Amino acid sequence: MNKIKKIVVNWETFLLALLILEFVVFGAKNAKFLMPRVLLASVNDFIAICFIALFVTFVMITGGIDIQAASIVGLTSIIIGVGWQDGGMNIWTAAAVAIIAAIVCGALSGFFIAYCGVQAMVVTLGGSFLYAGFALLVSNFSATEAYQGISGFPDDFKIISKFKLFGVIPSQLIAFLVLIIIAYILLHKSKYGRSIFLVGINQEAAEYSGINTRLVIMSTYILSAISAALAGIMLTSYLGTAKSDLGSNLTLNIITAVVLGGTLSTGGKGSVIGTALASLVIGILRFGLPLCFKVNTQYLDIPVGILLLVVVIGRAVLSRPETAALLKKFKKD
Amino acid sequence: MQKSGASNSEKYLLSIRGIRKAFGLNQVLKGINLELKEGEVLSLIGGNGAGKSTLMKIIMGIYQPDDGAIYMKGEEVHLTKPSVALAHGIYMVPQEPMLFPNMTVEENIVIGFEEKPAELHKRLVEQMKEVGWEMDLNRKASSLSIAEQQLVEILRGLLRQAKILILDEPTSALTFDEAESLFKCVADLRAKGIGIIYITHRLAEVFEISTSVAIMRDGVITLSGLVSEFTKEALVKGLLPANSDKDKEEDQEQAKAIDYSQPPVLELQDYSGYGFNNISLKLYPGEILGVAGVVGAGRTELATTIFGRDKVLGGKVYLDGKDITGFSTKKVLEAGLNYVPEDRHLHGLFKIADVAVNTTSALLSEKCMGRFFLNKKKEREVTQKYIDDFRIKVTGQSQLTGSLSGGNQQKIVIGRSLSTAPKVVILDEPTRGIDAGARGDVYKIIHQLRRQGVSVLLISSDMEEIVELSDRVVSVFQGRINAEFGKGDINQDNLMAAAFDVKTEKEVGA
Amino acid sequence: MKYIKKLTKAREFSSLLFLIILFAIVGCINSSFLTPSSIAACFNDSVVFTLLAVGMAFAIFIGEIDVSVGANLGFTASVVGSLLRDGHSWVFAFGVGILIGALIGLINGWGVAVLNIPSLIFTLGTNGVLRGLIYVYTDGAWVENLPAAFTAFASKPLIGDLTIFYSVTIVAVIVIHILLTRTKKGKYFIAVGDNAGGATLVGIPTVQTKIVAYVLCGIFAAIASILYASRIGFITAIAGNGYEMKAIAACVIGGISLSGGLGSVIGASIGAIIMSSVSRILVFMGFSSDYDNTITGIMLITIVVLDALMQRHAAERIRRERLLNRAANSADNKGGEKA
Repeated sequence: MNKIKKIVVNWETFLLALLILEFVVFGAKNAKFLMPRVLLASVNDFIAICFIALFVTFVMITGGIDIQAASIVGLTSIIIGVGWQDGGMNIWTAAAVAIIAAIVCGALSGFFIAYCGVQAMVVTLGGSFLYAGFALLVSNFSATEAYQGISGFPDDFKIISKFKLFGVIPSQLIAFLVLIIIAYILLHKSKYGRSIFLVGINQEAAEYSGINTRLVIMSTYILSAISAALAGIMLTSYLGTAKSDLGSNLTLNIITAVVLGGTLSTGGKGSVIGTALASLVIGILRFGLPLCFKVNTQYLDIPVGILLLVVVIGRAVLSRPETAALLKKFKKD
Repeated sequence: MQKSGASNSEKYLLSIRGIRKAFGLNQVLKGINLELKEGEVLSLIGGNGAGKSTLMKIIMGIYQPDDGAIYMKGEEVHLTKPSVALAHGIYMVPQEPMLFPNMTVEENIVIGFEEKPAELHKRLVEQMKEVGWEMDLNRKASSLSIAEQQLVEILRGLLRQAKILILDEPTSALTFDEAESLFKCVADLRAKGIGIIYITHRLAEVFEISTSVAIMRDGVITLSGLVSEFTKEALVKGLLPANSDKDKEEDQEQAKAIDYSQPPVLELQDYSGYGFNNISLKLYPGEILGVAGVVGAGRTELATTIFGRDKVLGGKVYLDGKDITGFSTKKVLEAGLNYVPEDRHLHGLFKIADVAVNTTSALLSEKCMGRFFLNKKKEREVTQKYIDDFRIKVTGQSQLTGSLSGGNQQKIVIGRSLSTAPKVVILDEPTRGIDAGARGDVYKIIHQLRRQGVSVLLISSDMEEIVELSDRVVSVFQGRINAEFGKGDINQDNLMAAAFDVKTEKEVGA
Repeated sequence: MKYIKKLTKAREFSSLLFLIILFAIVGCINSSFLTPSSIAACFNDSVVFTLLAVGMAFAIFIGEIDVSVGANLGFTASVVGSLLRDGHSWVFAFGVGILIGALIGLINGWGVAVLNIPSLIFTLGTNGVLRGLIYVYTDGAWVENLPAAFTAFASKPLIGDLTIFYSVTIVAVIVIHILLTRTKKGKYFIAVGDNAGGATLVGIPTVQTKIVAYVLCGIFAAIASILYASRIGFITAIAGNGYEMKAIAACVIGGISLSGGLGSVIGASIGAIIMSSVSRILVFMGFSSDYDNTITGIMLITIVVLDALMQRHAAERIRRERLLNRAANSADNKGGEKA
C-alpha cells in the first residue's frame, strides 16, 4: 500500500503523466503528430538536449552548474569536419580526437571549479566563450568558409544517425536508451554515483568520510563534456554538416530539463530517469507546438523558459515555512 | 509562566521574563529570567549548548522567543528584527566579528547611519578619543586582527549610543595584552552607565571585570548574584550539575584494567598545528582517554589535524607504531582511525539522504562495499547492525536523517565511524545537544567499544561525561596540555579547575 | 599624495593600467591605432556595454548574477524602436522602454531575493522567455526605418571625438560612483554582497536592497537598449544575444569580484572599454576579429581563477593566524616557549 502511494506521488510519475498529456493534446489537435514516422523522426531535433541533460544532472547534483556543454557540441562538430576534410583523418579517428578534445575542455573547467574554488557558473560561462572560440579557431583551419559548414561525410559515418532498428526505431533513440542505462548505473548503482550525491549534500561531511570530493566534482564536468561530444557527433552525422556554432542555443533547454527532472538547484538530489523524462517532455513540446499549434519555432524558448520558472518558483514557494505551515493546517482540517 | 509585574522591572535597563525557545524537538531555553541594570557588567557563563547564544540572538531580534517577554525600563518591547533591537539601543559584538571585509574601518562603523558623513566622522573621532583608542580608519577590515575587529564592532555599538552592549566571548581570540585593553574599555563603558552582558568561558575574567554573574545550564539560569558573593570555587561548583548523585553505570566496575605496559595504540609526539602546540600523549589499547578543556582550547583542531583535515606544523603521530603524520583523511581511515566530528550538522550529516547512506558513507572507499557497483546488501546489513546495536529509532533505513532527533543523528554518525573497524576513535563532543536518554545510550556504546578493545579519545566540555567515562584524562588549555589525571584523580572539581587553568591564573594574578 | 596612494590600491586601477598598457602595446605594433579618433572610437563603441556592465555591477555587488540583460536589451530595443518607427514621441518611447526594463528587473529581484532561487537559474529562465517574446512582438521581422533624427543622434560628438552618448554616460557613471560610495543607502549594495549576515545585524534591509539592485540592472539594460537602437539603426530578433556574457566579463575585467561586495561601477566601465576594444585591437594587430570571444573567455577565466585563489589564500591565512593566536596565548601567559 505504502509502495503504491509512493509511486503515485512520485515526481517521475508526474513527468510521465505530463508526457502522456502532451501526446494526448498534440495528438488530438493534429493526428499527424501521432504517426510513428513523424514522431520518431522528431527525435533528431532534440536528441542533443537528451544526451547532455543526462550528465549535466551529475554536475548539478554536486551543486555545480554547466552552461558550457552547448559550446562543446559545436567544437566537437567542427573538429570532426576539419579533422576529416582538411586533416586527412579517418572519420572515426576524427571523432575520437573530438571526444578527447571535449574531455580536455571538461577537465580544464572542472579543475578550476574543484581545485581552485571558482564558482561553477563563472568558469563554465567563460568556458562557453572559450570553447566556442576554439571552435571558430579550428574552423579557420579549413578551406571551407565557416558559415557553409563542412559536408560530404562518408556514408558509414552518416549511418550512425540514419540507422533504424526494425526499420522504425531510430538509432538516436537507441543511443539515448544506452546512455540512460549507463547514466543510471553510474549514478544510482555505483559507488561513484553515491559519492556524487554525498558531495552534493554536504561536501565537508563527504571529506570527513574520506571521499576525494574534488576529484568527484571535476569528473562530473568531464562526463558532461563527453555527453556533449556524443551529441555533437550525432548531430553532425544527422545533418551531414559540421558547423562550429552547432547547438549554441541548447543551454536553456538543458538546464530546464535537469531542473524539471527533479534535480535540486542547490545539489544533493536528482535522478537520471527524471531528467530523461523531462528532456523528452521538453523535446516533445518543442516538436508538438509548431506542428499542432502552428507556433513559430523561434517562440519555443518562451514555453521552455516559463517551464523552468514555474518549476523553480513552485518549489521555492512550497519550501517556504509559511507555505509548509499552511499545508499542515489544511491537512489537519 | 510567571507574569512579573512591570513596576518591579522599571528600574532595570533590560528585564527578561520567562523566555522559552525550542528548535524542533530540542528545547533550548526553558524559561529564562534575567535582569540588567545601568552600569552593570553581567557575566554570563555556561557550558556548550547551555543556550547562551540563543538567548543573545533573541535579545538581538534574530530569533523570536516561543514564550516570555522582554522589558526595557519597564516597558515591554517586541524585538522582531535586528533593526528594531538596534533602535532600542541594543548592540551585540558577536563572537566572530561580522565586519564587511572589503570596506574600510570607517565605512564599517558608520554604515547604516542617517547622519552626514562629515558629522559621523567627527563623532567617531571624538568617540575614539574618549575611549582612548587609535586606529587607522582607512584600513581595510580584512587586514585587521581579531582584536582590532572587535574594537571596530564595539565602536559601532558606541556610535549608535547603545545602552546595552552584548559581548560574546570577546577574548577567545585575543592575546593577553589585547584582552587587558579590552577590559579597560569595558570598565570605561560601565562608568558611562552602559549595561553590558559579557559572555565568557574564563572564570578569571568574571572577577576581573564584572559586577554580577549568572550561570546558565541546560536552558535555565542556575545561579546568579553579585560577583562579590562568589568565589571562583563556588562558580566552578555552580557550573556542575546539581544532581551529581546519578547512579554510576555498572559496567565501570566490570571493566578490565588497562594494561599500561603494552605499546600505545596512538601516540602523539610534540604535535603542533594551527590552534595547538607541542601536544604529547599516549593512548593505550582499550583505553578511554578524556580530553578536557573549554571550547576553543584547541582540542577540535588537534583532532581534525590528526584526521588529515589541516596542515601539521610539527611533531609526529603514530598509530599502532606506524607514522601517519600528515596523511590524507582517506589514508587515516584506512590506517584505522576514525573521527566523530564536533559539529555533526556541518561535518557529519547528509541531511537529505537516508539512514543507510549516512551510516555507510565512510565505507565507500573500501572493497566490502563493492568494487564498482554499490553493494546494497552489505549497505543494508551494516546499517541494520548499527540500528539494532545502538537502538536507533527510525521508521526504516530509508528515512531521511534530517528528520531524526539529535540523539539518533549522533548515533548514526558514531555508527559510521565504527563501520570502518577502527583501532582508535576520536569522539568530539559526542553528546552535545542530545537528550538525556540518548546520552545514556551513547555512553553504553562507548563502554561497549572499550570492551571490544577499541581505544577512544574522548573530547568533551561536559566534565560529568569525562568523569563518567574516562580511564585517564588530559586537560588542554589554550592549545597545550596543562594537566593530566590518573583514574583516581578524575573528579569534576579537578577537571573544571584545570579546564579554566585556575591555578595558573592565580600565579599570573599574583 | 594620500589620494594617489589610495588610487593605486584600488582594484579598478589595475584594470586602467591594463587598458593603458594594452593600448600602448597595440600602438607600438600598429601606430594608426593610437590616433585620437581611433581611441575615441574605442570609447564610443563601448557605450552599450558600459551601461550593461554598470547595471550588471549592481547584481554582482550583491553577490548575484543576471543573465537576462541581453534578452532584456533585445526586447526593450524592439519595443522602443517600433514605437519610434510608428511616430510616437521620444519621451513616450523611452519611458515605456525604461518601465519594461524596471519590470523585468523587479521580476528577477523577486525570484532571487524573496524566493531565494539561485540567480543564474532564475534569470536564465527569464532570459528564455524574453528571447521568445522578441519574436512574438516583432514576428521575427527586423525593426527598421527608425527616425533619422534618432539614429543620427548616435554619432553626434560632444567633447572632441567623443559622442554625446559616451560623454553623458561617463558623467553618469561618475555620479553613480559618488552616490554609491558617499551615501548611506549607496553602500548597502556592497554591504549586502560583502557580508549578508553582518548587513542584517546592522539593520540593513537585505531583501529590499537585492530587489533594488535587480531593478537598477533592468533599467540600465533598458537605457542601453535605447542607445543600441540609435547606434545600430535597426533591431533584429537576435539583438543583444550573448551580451549578458560580455557584460559579466566587463565587470570581472574591471575588478569586480563575482563573490560580491567588491568593485566599482568605474571599474565596470573600464572593463567595458577593454571588452569592446578586443575586436578592434585584433583587427589592428592583423588578426580576424572572430577571436573576440576566445580572448574574452581567456581573460574572464584567468581573472576569476586568480581572484579565487587569492581570496582563498587570504581567508585561510586569517583563519590560521587566528588559531595560532589562540594557542600563543598560553605562551604569553606562561612567558614560556616560542609561539
